[in-house]
Amino acid sequence: MIVVEKLTKKYLNVEVLNIDELSIPKGQSFGLVGNNGAGKTTFFSLLLDLIRPTTGQIHSKGVRIDVSEDWKPFTSAFLDESFLIGYLTPEEYFAFIGKLRGLSKGEVAEFTSKFEGFFNDEILGKRKLLRDLSKGNQKKVGLIGALIGNPEVVILDEPFANLDPSTQIRLKQLIKSETQNTHTTFLISSHDLTHVTEVCDRIVVLEKGQVIKDLQTSPETLKELEKYFSEPLEG
Amino acid sequence: MQIADFFRLEWLQFIRAAYFQKSLALKILIGFLVLYFGGTAVLLGGVIYFIAKKSAPDVDPLVTVNNLLVIWVAVDLLLRYFLQQLPVLNVKPLMTLPVRRNKVVRFVLLKSLTSFFNILPLLLYIPFTVVLLANDYDPIQTLAWFFGMVSVSFSINFTNFLINKNNTFFYALLTIVALGVGLNFFSIFDPRVFAGQCFYAFFDKPYWVVAPILVMYLLYRTNKSLLLNGFYLDDMVSKKVTLAEDADLSWLKHFGPVAPFLENDIRLIRRNVRPRQVLLVSFMFLFYGLIFYTQDVYKEIPTILVFASIFVTGGFLMTFGQQVPSWDSQYYKLLMSQNIPYRQYLNAKWMLMVFGVLVSFLLSFPYLYFGWDIFAMIAAGALFNVGLNSFITLIGGALNRTPIVLNEKAKAFANTSGFNPTQLLIGLPKIFLPMLFFYIPYRLISFDAGLICIALSGLLGLAFRSQFLSLIERIYIKGKHKTIAAFAQES
Repeated sequence: MIVVEKLTKKYLNVEVLNIDELSIPKGQSFGLVGNNGAGKTTFFSLLLDLIRPTTGQIHSKGVRIDVSEDWKPFTSAFLDESFLIGYLTPEEYFAFIGKLRGLSKGEVAEFTSKFEGFFNDEILGKRKLLRDLSKGNQKKVGLIGALIGNPEVVILDEPFANLDPSTQIRLKQLIKSETQNTHTTFLISSHDLTHVTEVCDRIVVLEKGQVIKDLQTSPETLKELEKYFSEPLEG
Repeated sequence: MQIADFFRLEWLQFIRAAYFQKSLALKILIGFLVLYFGGTAVLLGGVIYFIAKKSAPDVDPLVTVNNLLVIWVAVDLLLRYFLQQLPVLNVKPLMTLPVRRNKVVRFVLLKSLTSFFNILPLLLYIPFTVVLLANDYDPIQTLAWFFGMVSVSFSINFTNFLINKNNTFFYALLTIVALGVGLNFFSIFDPRVFAGQCFYAFFDKPYWVVAPILVMYLLYRTNKSLLLNGFYLDDMVSKKVTLAEDADLSWLKHFGPVAPFLENDIRLIRRNVRPRQVLLVSFMFLFYGLIFYTQDVYKEIPTILVFASIFVTGGFLMTFGQQVPSWDSQYYKLLMSQNIPYRQYLNAKWMLMVFGVLVSFLLSFPYLYFGWDIFAMIAAGALFNVGLNSFITLIGGALNRTPIVLNEKAKAFANTSGFNPTQLLIGLPKIFLPMLFFYIPYRLISFDAGLICIALSGLLGLAFRSQFLSLIERIYIKGKHKTIAAFAQES
């Protein structure tokens, strides 16, 4: 689904990302872990053509991301609050995204009504603007917004941060069922090793822009990751 | 924490603000602008004495000036109301630190006195006072007058925060103003004369200077107690939570693929402070013509009138249009990662701008009072606005990468978008093209030919609409990553 080749990104001659080769097959839930500054958000921004690579390229379903825009119809993302439109209500926001993805208002409402439990009665039908919601509720809206219109690739930056425990558990179930039922490819970054090992089939550890580990998730993965991150960093 | 520490924080905030770290060219431009306004005030303060003396030789120039000052005071208050905001939100990080509330509030209020709006009157009053002294006015009386007027300015400063934060004060002031206008209308009482007498009293009987100082102090106390009571996260420091109104926008679906964007733009304007401010400014543009059409001088030089006519219908088009991608800066990443054709996005903005011109045109019908020539000029100007100005403005907007915080008032001089050099350059044709289109045929053929030429230029622009949109689209695509990076920066 996604093929990365010789991708580097430099800011003022400081290399922040260098991925020689990485390919993510369709339907995989791909987890990205790494300490602050490891390059996770940079990588996701490159995947969305929000920043330009210094060298190399990314293909998504055969479309080269920094050249064509044809990846947009099947890709969606929620990186941060700049993916929300503050002056809309959640319903209006969902309807707007739905329209961009070719869904009618009714179809969007039907889709979002499935997440009433996830929203915990705090989001739909309250006529509150997104900018007035709490950080956690904003996040919920962004996450569900990223699922509208059956995207094939969903990119989520730290989806578990700021969420309450119930929602974290629901989100994990949601991601699992989506990958199983619709073969959506998820790319998820997280600082929470437990969550990410639970949800993802594969975990890549980034450090200072480099791929340090590439693991297929197994019962031992969590231990291995914890061991890796508790060791003092070299250099 | 001492007051000096606060000022250090403020200084750091000032020099590290995103807009300050922009290119040297921009800094120089801002510098020029500050110099320009400041210089104008100093110059005005220096010469107004002599102007007053010349225009009314029998009256004490100080009396003449005092009678005019009420207009300055009124405009000052009006401008402040729309542009100056008490920076309470900045105190949030201080709330949990061991600093006394009293100190923070006092600092916030004192700091507000250093705003450009309070420096400007000083720049006017100081040279004027110097001129008075040089002309043998009694030093004590003159200084009393000076301090009186400065206190008036500072009182306006504090009044503005009261009416901004508290509806009771707002309506109270509105009532007073309405009362003044009403009494003036029935010739019972002239607030202009009354204010003039008050201001003159500071000079005439210097002890009266106590009055404005007392008023200033009372206003300061009121502000202080209001702020102290509201010094909680869920009160003054927080932003107001508004419930979304359920306006039915489903009729927009007739616009097809552009509809979702139009829908968003309408909500953008209705639900955010900044766009509403723009709406108000564009409404004021409607009255631009009054300045020019009423002057006999300009009847002889209709080319200048063309300039005014463009502004009558072009207010919204220009003020909204020149910030076109910036309005969406807060969620630009979303737009850029969604499947959005630039063409539809731009089309929606263009339609909104055209709609603005049409509404302004309908509202400009009263200008018929000035005769058909003027009205025809406004109509021709409207066509130019729709067909050419709209595209020129959008091109200028595409090059403008200043993020906008939608739900906050524009701070004077914090918003540098208008001072972008490329944008200034692009702004020139907006003003000079129609004048040129008019001037040449007007000189060679006739007045009507000039108007027809302006109108035709608009129609021609409309004919090339899709070429223009493609051009703007290319600018958008080319600058995409730069724009994303610029918008990601907090202003």
